[in-house]
Parts: sequence; C-alpha cells; structure tokens
Amino acid sequence: MGGCLSGDVNGGKQAIGGVQQRPTSSIPNNAAHNDAVDFFFRSRGQYPLFSQIELSLSALNLVDRDITSKSDPMAVMYLRKKDGKLEEIGRTEVILNDLNPKWIEKITVSFQFEAVQTLVFHVYDVDTKYHNVPVKTLKLQDQDFLGEATCVLSEIMTRPNRTVTLNLTGNFGAGVNRHLGILSVQAEETVASKTVVEINFRCVNLDNKDMFSKSDPFLRISRIVETSAAVPICRTEVVDNNLNPMWRPVCLTMQQFGSKETPLVIECFDFNTSGNHELIGKTEKSVAELERLCLQKEGANFVYPSFSHGNKVLKGQLLVDRFVEKVQYSFLDYISSGFELNFMVAVDFTASNGDPRTPSSLHYVDPSGRLNSYQKAIMEVGEVIQFYDSDKRFPAWGFGGRTSDGSVSHAFNLNGASYGDEVVGVEGIMEAYASALRNVALAGPTLFSNVVDKAANIASQSLSENSPKYFVLLIITDGVLTDMVGTVDALVRASDLPLSVLIVGVGNTDFKQMEILDADNGRRLESSTGRIATRDIVQFVPMKEIHSGHVSVVQALLEELPGQFLSYVRSRKINPIGAPAI
Amino acid sequence: MIFVDHHNHCITMTKTLEIDIRSAEGLKLNRKPVMKKTFAVVKIEEKSRNSNLDESRRSDPTWNYKTEMPINGDAKFIYIEVFYRTGCGHDKKIGEAKIPTNDFMGRYSPQGHFNFLSYRLRDKFGDKCGIVNVSIMVKSDSTTGACSSQAAETGLWRPRSETPSIDGYGGRIVTGVPIWCVAPTNYYSSCVP
Repeated sequence: MGGCLSGDVNGGKQAIGGVQQRPTSSIPNNAAHNDAVDFFFRSRGQYPLFSQIELSLSALNLVDRDITSKSDPMAVMYLRKKDGKLEEIGRTEVILNDLNPKWIEKITVSFQFEAVQTLVFHVYDVDTKYHNVPVKTLKLQDQDFLGEATCVLSEIMTRPNRTVTLNLTGNFGAGVNRHLGILSVQAEETVASKTVVEINFRCVNLDNKDMFSKSDPFLRISRIVETSAAVPICRTEVVDNNLNPMWRPVCLTMQQFGSKETPLVIECFDFNTSGNHELIGKTEKSVAELERLCLQKEGANFVYPSFSHGNKVLKGQLLVDRFVEKVQYSFLDYISSGFELNFMVAVDFTASNGDPRTPSSLHYVDPSGRLNSYQKAIMEVGEVIQFYDSDKRFPAWGFGGRTSDGSVSHAFNLNGASYGDEVVGVEGIMEAYASALRNVALAGPTLFSNVVDKAANIASQSLSENSPKYFVLLIITDGVLTDMVGTVDALVRASDLPLSVLIVGVGNTDFKQMEILDADNGRRLESSTGRIATRDIVQFVPMKEIHSGHVSVVQALLEELPGQFLSYVRSRKINPIGAPAI
Repeated sequence: MIFVDHHNHCITMTKTLEIDIRSAEGLKLNRKPVMKKTFAVVKIEEKSRNSNLDESRRSDPTWNYKTEMPINGDAKFIYIEVFYRTGCGHDKKIGEAKIPTNDFMGRYSPQGHFNFLSYRLRDKFGDKCGIVNVSIMVKSDSTTGACSSQAAETGLWRPRSETPSIDGYGGRIVTGVPIWCVAPTNYYSSCVP
C-alpha cells in the first residue's frame, strides 16, 4: 500500500495551473513570451511575425524507472538552434506516480511562420523533492531520463486537430531502442485577454472512496476543445480526509477557460499516493454558470458515469462560495500608460577586480580602445535601460573604493561631483566610470547594503508623490560579497518598495552567493531581525552566460522584471494610469 | 487624542494602525506541519485582538483579518501570535513574531502607505515555526497644534527641544505650558466666563 512508495507525495498534492495571487510569486516560467523583451525589439522595428502558441503535453506507457513506485514524470521542451544546440523553452509540472501523465502546465512558444522550428522534448523521472520548489530550478542532470521526441512546430499547426503523436526514443546502453512510450503534443493559439476570475470552490456530501479514512478530494478543471477532447487547465490542492472540503481560491485567466460560455468539466477525485486517483464525481459547468451558482447560493450535483445506468446523480454537490471577476493588466499596459521606470547604476570598485594598471584586471582600460568587462557590461546593459528610462538621467554610484578624501566609501558618486549623483545617458555612465578609475583607488570590502539603501530611499520618497514610478538598481560586480548578512538585511528592508535589483556578474568567480540573493529556489530572504522579504526583488545574471550566446542580454536582464513589477502593483491594486478601477 | 499629564504637558502621540493579518505559512508544531484550526492575535502593549478561526486545518491558513488599533508613538514593537485550537476547545500557542515599529513607521513608510510585511515566527524554544504575512497602515490622528487656542495666542506654546521619538512625519511631541503658570493675573481675568 502506501508504505514503500517513493516520490514526493507533498509535491503530488499541490495545486497546479491556477494563477497564484501572493505578492511573492512571480509569473510562471514562460521563456518565450516576455512583454518587456518584445517591447524592446518592437521599438527597433523588429516585428517578428509570430503568434503565441500554447502546447499541452501528455504521454502514454512511460518506462517505469522507480523501483517501488512509478515514475514521477516531467517534460522539458527545447528549440533546436541552427548550430544544433538546444535552447530550453519551458517545462511542465511534475506528476506523481503516473506512467500516463496528462500535464496541466502548458509551454508557450512563438510560432514563426517563415522559420523551421524544430522542437525537442525530453521526459524525465524526477527523483528529487519538488514540493514548493519552482520546476525551473530542478537540475536535469540529477533526474532519470525517460526518452526524447522531436518534431517541427509547423507540422503540429497544419494537422486538422493540431495534435501530433510521437514515439519516445532513447539510448539506454545495449544499443537497442526499447519501446519507451508515446508523447502527444496539442497546440492552441493563445488569446490575449485580460479577464481573470477568482473562484472559491467547496463540496458537500462527497462519497467516501477510502477504506479506513475519508476521501482526500481535489478538483480538476478541464476545458472542452472543438474536437471534444478535454484539456486540463488546473487542479486544486488536495484536502486530506474530508468529505466536505474547501479549497484555496482558484484564479483562472480567460486564456485558460476560453470564454464565459465555454463548457468546463469539473471532476472531483480522491487522491491516492499510488497515482490512481479515483473519480468521485463530475459535473459540466461554464464560467457563467459557476457565477450563477455563487449568486443564487445553489449547488450542482455531481454525477458518476456508469456503463449500465448512464449518469448516476450523486448526493455530493459542488458549491461556489465566492466568484470575483477582475481585469489583470500586463506590464506593457502599465508602461504605455505612463508608469515611469527609473534606473540607477552601481559599479564595484573593490580590489578583487585587480589593479587597473595590469591587463588582467577587470578594470583595465586598454589603450587600444578594447572595452573591459565593466565597460562592455555598461554598454550592453545601458542600451536596454536607456530604452525604458524616459529622461535618461541615472544616479550612478561606485562602491568599495577609496575616494580622494582618503576614506573608503560604499556609495560614492561615480561622477565625482559633490552636488549630485546623476549622469546623462550611457555615455554619461562611461565617462563617469573612466574618470572614477583615475581618481578612486580600489579598496574593499564588498558591500551592497549602502547602494541598496540609497536606492530604497529614492524609491520610498516617490511613494509620497503622485506620479507612479518604479525603480531598478543595476549593480555591476565581480561578485564575492564580504557582508552577506548586511546585504540581505538591506534587500529585505527594500522588498516592499517599488524597486528591483538587477545584479550583473563580471569575471569568473563562483557566483553562488548571488544565486542565494536571487531566491529563484523559492526561499524568501530572511533578515537578521526576523523579517522576511515581502517579494523577490533581486535578479542575477552572469555576464559570461550572455557572452556564450546562451541567452541575450535583453532576455536575461528583463526576464524577471515584468513579474517583479506586476507583483508590486497588483498586490497594492494599482492600475495603469487612467485605467478604470477594478 | 490629547492627554495632559501631571506636569500639565500636552502630549499628542497616538496613532491608529490599520492592521490586516493576512495569512501564515509553514506553521510547525514540534517540527511537524500543523494540521489544526488556527487563529492569530495582534498585541500592541496591553491590548490584543483575535482573528477569526481558520478551519481548513492547514499549515498555511488564511485569515484576512482586518482591524484598527491605537498605538502609542513611542512603542518599539508589536507582536503577532499564532494559536491552534485543540479538540477540547483549548487554545495553545504555536509561536510569535516580534515586529519593530520602525518597519512600518520608519524611513521608508509614509503615512497612509500600505506596508506588506512578513515575519519569522518562533516558538517558546526560539525555534523557527513558520512565517506570518501582514499588512499595516499608519493612520494618524495626532495634532501638532496647541492645547488651547488661548495658549497659542499668547505665544507660550512651543515644541520641546529634544528629538522626537517617531522618525519622519509630523509626530512631534509638543509641550504646552498653561498660561497661568507664567502670567496668573492676566489669565484669570480673561478666562473667567
């Protein structure tokens, strides 16, 4: 029975698919579609001819790699680039103990009409714990490979029901290609819509399917597509041992449910750690009908499909305690309405960079004009920030250097001026940097807390003004922090402000500390006084990842920014300027 | 709210806090996730308010309990405690969080601004037992005016010279000196109704 099962049961009981509303959660992984990146490219006249496609994946007859239970599969999708390298586009969630998974998390990809887009799918059996861990942080080399499939995106789009079935292949030694199962991929075009509904579901009088205790119910909501197949769109969490369960609110976008009249199938299952969840009952209701159930305080009886008697009507009922329809604006909606993005720059002047007079130093100014790591970072990153910051005036600071008065400062004006810290444009940053190199001696230790505090001060002052602003502090550093505690404290203090901190790492150090600050593993930063960061405001990008062609500057820098920005404005119910109040 | 203490000083320093105890997560009892009904309590000095009981029996309950409470301007901490209810109806404490008032009445928080804050809960042994999420907004009903209009007219109302205990936004401590201390005859003649 349950005794010798492996696998992360807690992970298997999590809710999937509904959009979370906590301020600390960011937009789910969606590498191919990023508002901020698209906007940047469009501004330069680069209008890619594409439409957004959502792929739903499912598999049959996967290989069983676990000894005492079944595999916990997850699928990863890649795009094969011209040089043969694979670029990861997205991942599904992990499903517990299932050799025939129907994944709920969709993978979004831009369908470019003129290009040949080769998609490569890898299916893994996840061995590590995945409860409350964002799927993108799972290290693939630690998991068991279950098989690979390849197809071309246009092939899927041209099929009548936009579905393709592929054989999974793989080499498991012995040179023999065993039958590893089938992967199905179904494509749908995403409809950009801003309507979101938040629903509180509850059930009463559910049938008991467990022998020694009560059922552990959860709901799965699917949408019926034209071909009358049902595509699952979300799943609630599991409530243990309860025949009258109440779940956390489910938040669905119109992209997920189609329209308010589209029929949805709502199934109630009893969770089993074996993966064979038993159906308790199901009902078919559209979003509009769910709204009616809420208003009229009525319940919908579940039915149980039976071969002999057709649908048997059960005593168990589905109730809607709360139904809220709201509009969810996108990052671009805010920016184009006049929300200002203001950038600030801080440059590392600590001695670990190396004596600027020696060619091996990260701060070496080559007389031949070749740019050093810092100059390259400032130029490339500056291009992006200059685009988003309308007045192009940036406060610019240095930290860890000994200024002309002989003392070490952890936030000195890069322009060397006593009257103000602003520079104009990327050229302004480059000039200030060059002059600072002449007048400031590299020292130490490496602390970010002073520049973070300065940025936080600026951000908090804007709170009392009327015009809405969001601030981004860009820190360019060679990466080894001396005072992790002080830096974490400063970041936690700033975590409730309209501020994001983008850290760019130059050089070849081990940037492990930066990855902790980035908090992508879901661990919220905790200060020394016991305060926990309200939201994740840090994003870290190592420059060498950008130069290896793995990811573009624009992509890397702006990846988390829309999510961090939206988590701030949505939690405070701030709308784009002039937009009607929700 | 204006108080006059035995030195006849006028002290105006209470504020009102709009507190929303939103939720908690990772609640643990003896290192195991809590599976009981839970509620939270906000404590400011001797006053406390209890939230509703979350009946979902989860280690990440949601309360969304909103309340308004007065706070003395020089209070240094407020406390949030989380309890569970036993089968017999007794309440037992899981842990508490100590919130420095500087975190919502400090440099980064103008009045009227909603502060979304999260804190580590610790049990009686000092071990970590979860996180509590709250939102706090400071409403002020303090005045910096004189105790009485007559005090203002005579110009004897003046602020105290020491630095105020509240950082940043108008919550100054003022000393009003009754006129009769300084010019008794004049006062009696003008004030007798």
